[in-house]
Amino acid sequence: MNKRYNILFGGELLGEALVKQGYYVFYSRDYQSLIRGGHNFNVLTFSENPVNSNESNIDILVALDENTKTIHEKNLKKGGVILDSKHPNMYFAGKLFKLLCLDFKILEQELKELKKRFDENIKEAKKGYEEETKNVCKVILQKNQIYFTNGGKGISEGAIKSGLDVYYAYPMTPATSVLVELADKQEKNNFLVLELENEIAVMNSAIGSSITGAKSMVGTSGGGFDLMTEALSSAGIVEAPVVMYLAQRPGPASGVPTYTGQGDLSMARHCGHGEFPRIVLAPGDPIECQELTSQAFYFSQKYKIPSIVMSDKHLAESFYSLDSKIQITKSQKTTSLARYNTYEKDSTGAGTDNPEIIKKNIENRLKKVQEIKKEAKKFTQYKLHGKKNKNLIVSWGSPKGAIIDSIKDLNCEFLQILYIEPFSEKIKDILENKNIILIENNATGQLANLIAEKTGIFIDDKNKILKYDGRPFLNDELKKEIERRLR
Amino acid sequence: MNLNTPIKPTWCPGCPNFMILAGVKKALETCGKKQNEMAIVSGIGCHAKIFDYINLPGLNSLHGRVAPVCLGLKVGNPNLTVLGFSGDGDAYAEGMEHTIHAARYNSNWNYIVHNNQVFSLTVGQPTPTTEKGFADKTMPMGVKTQPLNPIKLMLASGASFVARVFADIQQVEWVLKEAIKHKGFSFIEIIQPCLIFHPSIGYKEKTYSLEKTKHDKSSFDQAWKKAQEFDYNEVKKIPLGIFYQVEKPVFEDQLPQLAKLKKAGKSWKDIKR
Repeated sequence: MNKRYNILFGGELLGEALVKQGYYVFYSRDYQSLIRGGHNFNVLTFSENPVNSNESNIDILVALDENTKTIHEKNLKKGGVILDSKHPNMYFAGKLFKLLCLDFKILEQELKELKKRFDENIKEAKKGYEEETKNVCKVILQKNQIYFTNGGKGISEGAIKSGLDVYYAYPMTPATSVLVELADKQEKNNFLVLELENEIAVMNSAIGSSITGAKSMVGTSGGGFDLMTEALSSAGIVEAPVVMYLAQRPGPASGVPTYTGQGDLSMARHCGHGEFPRIVLAPGDPIECQELTSQAFYFSQKYKIPSIVMSDKHLAESFYSLDSKIQITKSQKTTSLARYNTYEKDSTGAGTDNPEIIKKNIENRLKKVQEIKKEAKKFTQYKLHGKKNKNLIVSWGSPKGAIIDSIKDLNCEFLQILYIEPFSEKIKDILENKNIILIENNATGQLANLIAEKTGIFIDDKNKILKYDGRPFLNDELKKEIERRLR
Repeated sequence: MNLNTPIKPTWCPGCPNFMILAGVKKALETCGKKQNEMAIVSGIGCHAKIFDYINLPGLNSLHGRVAPVCLGLKVGNPNLTVLGFSGDGDAYAEGMEHTIHAARYNSNWNYIVHNNQVFSLTVGQPTPTTEKGFADKTMPMGVKTQPLNPIKLMLASGASFVARVFADIQQVEWVLKEAIKHKGFSFIEIIQPCLIFHPSIGYKEKTYSLEKTKHDKSSFDQAWKKAQEFDYNEVKKIPLGIFYQVEKPVFEDQLPQLAKLKKAGKSWKDIKR
């Protein structure tokens, strides 16, 4: 049973309650780039079985304004419920709790934890709870150990567990959630969060801190990342172990600020002038966000290189309920203050134009590419989901959830690529002689380009499922797209 | 303390940068800090070569990015004495925003801007402090814009220590020691004629020392007035010395995480987790 509904506020609150009750929940937010008003909506799916994405149809629609009803009514399933009347948010929360057979005590507890307007909220919630007469599902109480969290929290947790010392950022959606999360945790965990004048300062300061030995990280979205790329190149030659969090949104330029996309894969791989080693990692859920962030710190520290961890608005801000164990990779602090240079340098740290030294420096840096490639084999560079099949979906990052949910009953396998750089050599063998179906949240199939570059395998354009309207994949729509391409 | 490196300077013969280097070394040798307590940063330009000639750790950074790197070093280890060397192209063109914010943050490091009013390493183009009428191959009709007054800029941006000296060993040594003693951000501009592209003929004769006048360096109004005597365009009078010095809350001291490191004499590297 998958139930879904729409609620402006308290989606997270409801999700938490459902998780406490033992359900798996997926919850995503759709909001415009404005502060008050507009059309904002949240979609929440819950189930007794793991759920990682939303679908297009709705069981329960809570419409806090007429516009919401107009827009979404057409997606209401037969026998679906609409809750719409002029009432405060918590009234609807109460109604939903009754409708979904949730324990009112959980709501009361959640409202207490909000630490504001408790008396009003509880009064409104009680009213809604009492006035609702129907209920649409049975009570379950599973003892699942479920994390209810989003990608932004995953990145933050991963950084903290990796021993983060300093996080620098300039606010930019959808990377800001990590800035806020880390800012909140800094005093308790004794690290520092600084917001500087722009992304150029952010990355250069991170380099400054990292060469004193501090574990340093920066976070931004595409436009901010553009500004950081000169300093990324600097980190490359300086061999500064900076971890960069790149939360994508649709570009080019200002693009669509509060929506999702995966248009920056090529940028992450190639940006920054000159030739230097880097790693690029692409988690697909909040647990992988934690794990890969810790691996980014590990590779950055061990090989003194910049590393990039990618997410997007959908992964960073959607809430997932996951139950697998988290494996954090610990890392040492390897860098000490010495004479660093953005020029090619000699043994004294001074700039040089000596051809032998230049050649040797470059070779020393690029030697690490091979070493990293070798060591990366110890880590999960890709995952295969589902049973071995001639139909093979390939993707990276946030589409993972919708893909896993949509292929449950389909005759296909899913290859999820976690390590963009270094790219596993085994992937070529996996792709060989398969009906490869590419799924990406961009318009040009950047992963397909990467695969072609690394393996010589070209994915047929007809087999590319690309979504570039700023919205994430919905599992029912995606399923139809995949089905058409199965052999 | 041996601050020498084996690198032979590649500044032009007679370049005033040699005076600056000598003054800086003297100040560092006698400022009471140990060699491992100090770090240097430079940008890109003739000034930046100084990094190669002083044996201290740090970073010869990118063009315009001296200030954020210095802040990063202070954040990484608040116990370091940090000197950031910059040029007028670096500090006032490419990295202008960082210069302003550095003054605003008041982190305890020293910003030393070698101002020769010209891009020298790229062979002679005008910078934001080049006087009107200056002509070169890129501006054959001459500079039409008003130069920026960095002293006024720093005062307006909230710098707690604002000074200007000439590229002279004694002046540089003196002002740098004062700056290192100062708690907070110290801005020092050094007027450094470029013998090839901007010889600043007649400048030295017009200079006078604020220290020899009744100038009250704690007075913003007096500092502002003195700053206006030289607009980097017409050379009538060039006041030198400390224009302004006040105590303001220091960046590192206000952040409990950094204040703790400072008190314990530690850096983040020492924090085991």
